[in-house]
Amino acid sequence: MAIITISRGSYSKGKEVAEEVASALGYECVSREVLLDASDRFNIPEMRLVRAIHDAPSILERLGREKQAYIAYIRCALARRARKDNVVYHGLAGHLLLKGIPHVLKVRIISDLEDRVKSEMERERMNEQEARSLILRDDEERRRWTRTLFGLDPWDSALYDLVLHIRKLTVADAAALICKAAKLKQFETTREARQKMDDLVVACEVKAAFVEEYTDVGVVCEFGNVLIYCKSGERIEHKLQEKAKKLTREISGVHHMEVHCGIPAPARAV
Amino acid sequence: MSMIIISSDSNEKGEEIAHTTARTLNYTFLGRDLLPVAASRYGIPQEKLEWALEAPPRSWGGAARLQRRALSSIQATTLGALLADNAVCHGLAAHLYVVGISHALRVRILADPTELEREMSENQAVALEKSRILLDRRRRVRQRWSLTFFQIDETDPSRYDLVINLSQIVTEEAVKIIAQTVAHRRFAAMTYSLKCLRDAELASRVSAGLLEKFPKVKVRADGGTVIVETKGTRFNKMKRAAAIKAQVQGIEGVEYVEVHVKNGLSKKSATDS
Repeated sequence: MAIITISRGSYSKGKEVAEEVASALGYECVSREVLLDASDRFNIPEMRLVRAIHDAPSILERLGREKQAYIAYIRCALARRARKDNVVYHGLAGHLLLKGIPHVLKVRIISDLEDRVKSEMERERMNEQEARSLILRDDEERRRWTRTLFGLDPWDSALYDLVLHIRKLTVADAAALICKAAKLKQFETTREARQKMDDLVVACEVKAAFVEEYTDVGVVCEFGNVLIYCKSGERIEHKLQEKAKKLTREISGVHHMEVHCGIPAPARAV
Repeated sequence: MSMIIISSDSNEKGEEIAHTTARTLNYTFLGRDLLPVAASRYGIPQEKLEWALEAPPRSWGGAARLQRRALSSIQATTLGALLADNAVCHGLAAHLYVVGISHALRVRILADPTELEREMSENQAVALEKSRILLDRRRRVRQRWSLTFFQIDETDPSRYDLVINLSQIVTEEAVKIIAQTVAHRRFAAMTYSLKCLRDAELASRVSAGLLEKFPKVKVRADGGTVIVETKGTRFNKMKRAAAIKAQVQGIEGVEYVEVHVKNGLSKKSATDS
């Protein structure tokens, strides 16, 4: 069984598609639940997490630690949810936060601007100009968010396995196509895929534990062996090792932890 | 009764999927085999037609005019072939000019980038890093090409009904997804969508005929009525309109011609019908 991430713009019917897919496959449909999990676990107000995952970071925020930390918490909550398998996640950046997991089917739902404007006008009872400018601003904000934090463009189709245009295709058609794709062999939860997912959860837990104090930490986990990379020099190595030792006992699934200071983290690190 | 237009960032992958889809659905495959027909119909050598599809866009001079004329003749021939319905089209840039035809399923296939890099590295005997740069350059040239000639960015996903990434999904499965999608009633040919296709075909045929003598014409068609827009000076616009009208009237399917010659300097429109 698969994990399905559905990326969408506002009012592009992605939520409806996600709900239909989840109900057809009997999967759990999650979006805000991930933020609530992160909010409970790390004791951060939900609104701050919403802002962290929605608004593009300002210049000051890029230098600060807060946003990076919140994203690490959200990633941790999402990875823990996804580990349970049979999940449809529709929300921001699912395809990026679960990168490297083979049984994740990454889908993007798009629809025409005019249809989106119409939907927003109906739902929010606003005029066309307001609706249009809100949608365009929202799109731009999401674009800047992904570019700043991941160096990628969310409009790039290469980031997804399927991009479905809701125009001639209806919500039901799109859901049927996704269900069919999710049943493909490549998206089955194999033993290797499960191991990768477990490793991602461990890496995310470790990162979440470090990120508040050390923002530039990158974590890689393979079969429970954790490598912690830190760009900062060797002067903090001792502190990191102390913390790592403590975490080895606290986080389940960790066999061994190593700290590498002064080395940039590899691209696959969380 | 429908048609499938396939575009891809890899010619080989796109063609393979288009061929397999055509075989699976028992549709006709329209590909580069159509170029000899276009060549003989419009008197442009086949190599020039291939060059027009592949070469970076020329922006001025004789080469630019030839590239535009060659593409116009390919467009006219392809649209003519698509009138027969139940076709899968790939390699003729149809995704850029089959626009507003509701029974056309437009699909973009993205090849696995690692595979593309490896292929490019083997074919060109360059390092993987270099092949990545070359592929990126090729992608940017194609983007510029589509924007120059059709004012459409071919990498924009909103131009397609469906984009399939072959990094995880294999060819046979992609074909199944396409076949499942095209089976929807929304992709069945309707009277209106067929009329739109016939209009587009007539307009492109007229345009391809005119481009040799009149390189800057815009043609629209509605039923048998053809509207040609061009630019001319105050002194030659009557002569120009008459020459265009005389040439267009002889084309099959044209019932009525309207020629609008805009003044090249003042942009003021003069109409002759």
